[in-house]
Amino acid sequence: MRKIRLIARLDVKGPNLIKGVHLEGLRVIGSPSEYAQRYYQQGADELLYMDCVASLYGRNNLSHIVEKSAQNIFVPITVGGGIRSVEDATHLLRCGADKVAVNTAVVANPDLITDIARRFGSQCMVLSIEAKQIAPGRWEVYTDNGRERTGLDVIDWVKKGVSLGAGEILLTSVDREGTRRGFDIPLVKAVTQEVSVPVIASGGMGTPDHLIEVVQNGESDAVAMADILHYQRTTIGEIRRVAESSGIEVRRYESS
Amino acid sequence: MNIISYPSAVDLSRFGKEQTNPDVLYGLPPEVKFCRKCVISNQRPNSAVEYQHTKETKKKTINFDENGVCDACNFTERKKHSIDWTERDKQLRELCDKFRKPDGSYDCIVPGSGGKDSFYAAHILKNEYGMHPLTVTWAPHIYTQWGWKNFQSWIHAGLDNYLMTPNGRVHRLLTRLSTELLFHPFQAFMFGQKSLAPKMALLFNIPLVFYGENEAEYGNPITDTDTAQRDWAYFSASNQSQVFLGGVSVSDLKEQFGLDQNDLQPYLPADPNQLAEKKVEVHYLGYYLKWHPQSCYYYAVQHGGFQASPERTPGTYSKYNSIDDRIDDFHYYTTGIKFGIGRASYDAAQEIRSGDIEREEGVALVKRFDHEFPERFADEIFHYLSLSEKEFPIASKMFEQPIMDRVYFQLLTDHFRSPHLWYHENGEWKLRHAVWHEKKVAVTP
Repeated sequence: MRKIRLIARLDVKGPNLIKGVHLEGLRVIGSPSEYAQRYYQQGADELLYMDCVASLYGRNNLSHIVEKSAQNIFVPITVGGGIRSVEDATHLLRCGADKVAVNTAVVANPDLITDIARRFGSQCMVLSIEAKQIAPGRWEVYTDNGRERTGLDVIDWVKKGVSLGAGEILLTSVDREGTRRGFDIPLVKAVTQEVSVPVIASGGMGTPDHLIEVVQNGESDAVAMADILHYQRTTIGEIRRVAESSGIEVRRYESS
Repeated sequence: MNIISYPSAVDLSRFGKEQTNPDVLYGLPPEVKFCRKCVISNQRPNSAVEYQHTKETKKKTINFDENGVCDACNFTERKKHSIDWTERDKQLRELCDKFRKPDGSYDCIVPGSGGKDSFYAAHILKNEYGMHPLTVTWAPHIYTQWGWKNFQSWIHAGLDNYLMTPNGRVHRLLTRLSTELLFHPFQAFMFGQKSLAPKMALLFNIPLVFYGENEAEYGNPITDTDTAQRDWAYFSASNQSQVFLGGVSVSDLKEQFGLDQNDLQPYLPADPNQLAEKKVEVHYLGYYLKWHPQSCYYYAVQHGGFQASPERTPGTYSKYNSIDDRIDDFHYYTTGIKFGIGRASYDAAQEIRSGDIEREEGVALVKRFDHEFPERFADEIFHYLSLSEKEFPIASKMFEQPIMDRVYFQLLTDHFRSPHLWYHENGEWKLRHAVWHEKKVAVTP
């Protein structure tokens, strides 16, 4: 059986780690490096950095943070936000990222998925999707940190993205993000049913039970969590224990 | 008054780029300055008494201190450092104790839409301060789907509500007039926003009214914040002959536009004598509680399932602020034309003050979003502003062209551009001064 990955998600804006609700009302939490270090020490399987203002400034500000993290954090790091070209991806991977997550730029130019996948391998090309429900069983793709509509249907887009070479899906529910109400299970299920690449469920985790629910009913391969960790409502270690005791296979982690 | 004629094209020579001494409209400061801490400009008008608003009205604008910092930023410093919030909370508890009713009847009125701020105000008064609020709502011109949903969530979070929806035909006529004469499509809403609650206080004999934050948090004179009570000039007037609606006198509205006293009743101010007699007090909750719009949003999500809008509002980056009314997009667009300040400027200035974004980000947001044309509901709004002969047999005769379309609106728009703010070049309107033109300046600590 597959091992479920626990991913700490760090949304970054300028110098700050931030957190929103429905990706809106972004609140300053603290220093991204300090939080990243803490989650690594708690036993996160991976880290995910998202630059929320990269599109606004037309640049990605994360290379410095990634470089620093790569020196003392030894789990895979995915970086997203403002990646518009193979060169942008190359730069971040050279700084120490293991994967890149792309949303806005690949909606505008889907061929970029193929370009990145050919150059670095599919496992490196994470298709990031911000999904908002528009009707029962239907979700629309949003860009620019959940601000702009695209008219694209999430399921159609996921299928297309995978056929173009995306090796993993980061699926964020705008409706659930920051609300602590649990993941959008029907959304996750709808996506995992369609594609065979790994799917990371993101948005809504308020308790460890939400993880069990999304793995068992949504069949996600990984969960990204932010609010639950940033506000120190629990730890990754605790979440791991709950997951294990519910029969979910996770990486065995011996805390030092 | 005369028939309102179809707008002519403006004389572009007044808008030359090299114009050395361009005209200044609305009594605005001729020299444009931007606050060194936030992104607001010195062109920002203070809240006006809408009953006195006519074409000739000169605007009072936000004050900047000797360091180039606006009063709104200075007030934020007071909020952070010199106001004793524990003491203010005590004052609020005393006020509530004085008015709280043990017999189960309403003891205060909270006006609002069920947006994040009014949600917070009513909910916290009920649940934290033990009050029995009656919420009252002056309906938006045209509800957005999400605005209606959030309004419902407010009520279902445990609050009674009276929704006052004014006569659509009168509302449309007044809105056309205020757009045509003042370029102020939001004015008809503001009449009710300011006066409905005090008038309901009289009607239901509930003498305590709570508004949310003081307008001084956004730039009204800082001395306004020294008192918890709202100036009666905003919602009361003793002499109807001095009242203007949509820039038109009450007598003209009756004699020439076919309205009668009953049509105008919802828009008219409260009678100050009655307010005094019934000892109505109108307070700002923001005087007592440290107001932070973003925290109100978090509070409303947590306690009532408040939803941000599904897309950002045109002209800004925000999805949680002022999202109930489809005409609101035009409100900010028109103030952008008149004062050079678009919606992103207001939102960014507020978030910089609250410490939620950095000034650099605010400048980038203003550059990207301010003054965007509000396309999403435009056709619907033009239809709303059109006064067909069939629906408006008398009022439509007062317009050379009663139907408002895009061309009409664009011609009208140009009449409200102040030449000291805008220039015209290669078929495009551009701002003479923008916050992103400025070199980075050190902020006074």
